[in-house]
Amino acid sequence: MNIIKTNWWKIASVILMLYVLVAGFKIPLQPGIIEVTGTRAVAGSEFATGIRTYNSRLLSADNIKVWLWLPDDKLIIADSLELVNDTYLNASFNPLPADIPVETSRGIMASIMIENDQEGHYFFRNAVNIKAPEQIDSLVNSYSYAGLDEINTVTKLAFPFQHILYETSRNTYFHVAIWMAMFALLILSCYHSIIYLRSKDINADYKASSVTTIAIVFGIAGLLTGSMWAKYTWGAYWTDDIKLNMTAVALLIYMAYWVLRASVSDPDVRARLSSVYNLFAFASLMVLVMVIPRLTDSLHPGNGGNPAFSSYDMDNTMRMVFYPAIIAYFLIGLWMAQLSYRIKKLSYQD
Amino acid sequence: MVLNRFIHIIKKEWTLEFREKYGFLSSLLYLIAVCFVIFKVFGKLEGPTRMGLFWLIFLFTAINIVSASFNVQTIRRKLYYYQLYDPVELLIAKIAFNYLKLFLAGCLLVALMILFGGESLKGPGLFLQSFAIVAFGICILLCVVSAISSFSDKQASLVSILSLPMMIPLLLLGMRLSLISERFFSDSATGTYVLMLIGIDLLLMSLAVLFIPLIWKS
Repeated sequence: MNIIKTNWWKIASVILMLYVLVAGFKIPLQPGIIEVTGTRAVAGSEFATGIRTYNSRLLSADNIKVWLWLPDDKLIIADSLELVNDTYLNASFNPLPADIPVETSRGIMASIMIENDQEGHYFFRNAVNIKAPEQIDSLVNSYSYAGLDEINTVTKLAFPFQHILYETSRNTYFHVAIWMAMFALLILSCYHSIIYLRSKDINADYKASSVTTIAIVFGIAGLLTGSMWAKYTWGAYWTDDIKLNMTAVALLIYMAYWVLRASVSDPDVRARLSSVYNLFAFASLMVLVMVIPRLTDSLHPGNGGNPAFSSYDMDNTMRMVFYPAIIAYFLIGLWMAQLSYRIKKLSYQD
Repeated sequence: MVLNRFIHIIKKEWTLEFREKYGFLSSLLYLIAVCFVIFKVFGKLEGPTRMGLFWLIFLFTAINIVSASFNVQTIRRKLYYYQLYDPVELLIAKIAFNYLKLFLAGCLLVALMILFGGESLKGPGLFLQSFAIVAFGICILLCVVSAISSFSDKQASLVSILSLPMMIPLLLLGMRLSLISERFFSDSATGTYVLMLIGIDLLLMSLAVLFIPLIWKS
């Protein structure tokens, strides 16, 4: 019983980690639209387009409808559909209503939405550019538009579909969560450094250095997972992206901490110097985090207009995995740091 | 009273510096030689390359100049300092004195750039401003790091390992400001950058003042 009482957090970390691995990999992505082939339409004339979808089962779905979604939330239904396979269909509007409100000469951008009974609805924003006809017909037939309230929604356990990112959005639970845990560990190590400087207890220094070591390991892991993600999304393992370079700098700062510890032989002097350097390093890391985003735009999701998981995009299904992931990594990092601390304590005891 | 002690330390630094002229003068010689080589290799330099080389040469000259500030001391001299001065006062005096040296070296570098490059600065005011602030930050960092590494056996290499990554934000901002001053591109946030630099300098200064007593006593 005592073992469970003192080590409950280790058990919790393993359970959470397993949960994150299973849920993060097994929960499917919501269906979405990858590509709309027809991008130009004229009000009042015919319009046909091919629609390529992702992760959908169109052949086994009932009651499929394709809608053209105008900016003022009016919907136009496609007149005929032709299913090619589970992820491709052709839709045609013959013709589009002539009284689509197109005010400017540049036309308006309409979205394409697919709806069916099994999968609910999903859409591609601003897919089609609709322009006004060259000569306006005097016989304007008035079209009865549908409203958004007629669209059915199906809630299933699924992660949101993100254009371009697709399945790589699962990296949120690994890459991003590892970074968060790393920052938490670095803050913890600063805390231990301050404790050392106040109390001169050498154990606090061992704790600080173990936690920092694990944080650096997490940093390298975060860099590797990010690098793999970048290969699939950006096409290269390493780019000139400012956040990557910032991370490299942060790792350099903390690796210098290792060098400093290795270069001083007296344990008390080493503890004092490395504690001070640790606090300095954390301060300059904070400066780095604050300064760099103001200088340039990053390619990262959420920066410079890239799709990301802001409060708007990241839905509750993602949060359900993302937050436990941070806690799991943090607890596992603590566990690793504790082991490393015990080794240090034993080997320096004599 | 405090000011008197400052002046005393700076005077003593000056005497020491004058007695061991080779330190600062060799750094200046290094700077001139590097400038000469670089401008002979590249010929005429423009825009970003010129500014990039300016900051690089300045960075390494700064490491040369400041890293010696705590390191050259023998154990005896350290004990002497320890008995005589308050560490905070010593640090501030050292920062002030080294800053003076850095500023002189930087001015020499600018003069050499204009001489060899044959093109004067387009926005000397903003350039000088950014240079002055960045050099101050670099000076604080190098002084603290040299104090830290003076306890280690591998002083010289440790200074650059510890300080280079930490200087990157300062250098990035300085680089950006100097490019703006060269009209390489325009940016409306010049004032924000200057304020950020001043903020970083203040943060570094307060950390240095806070921690130097902890580093110093052994």
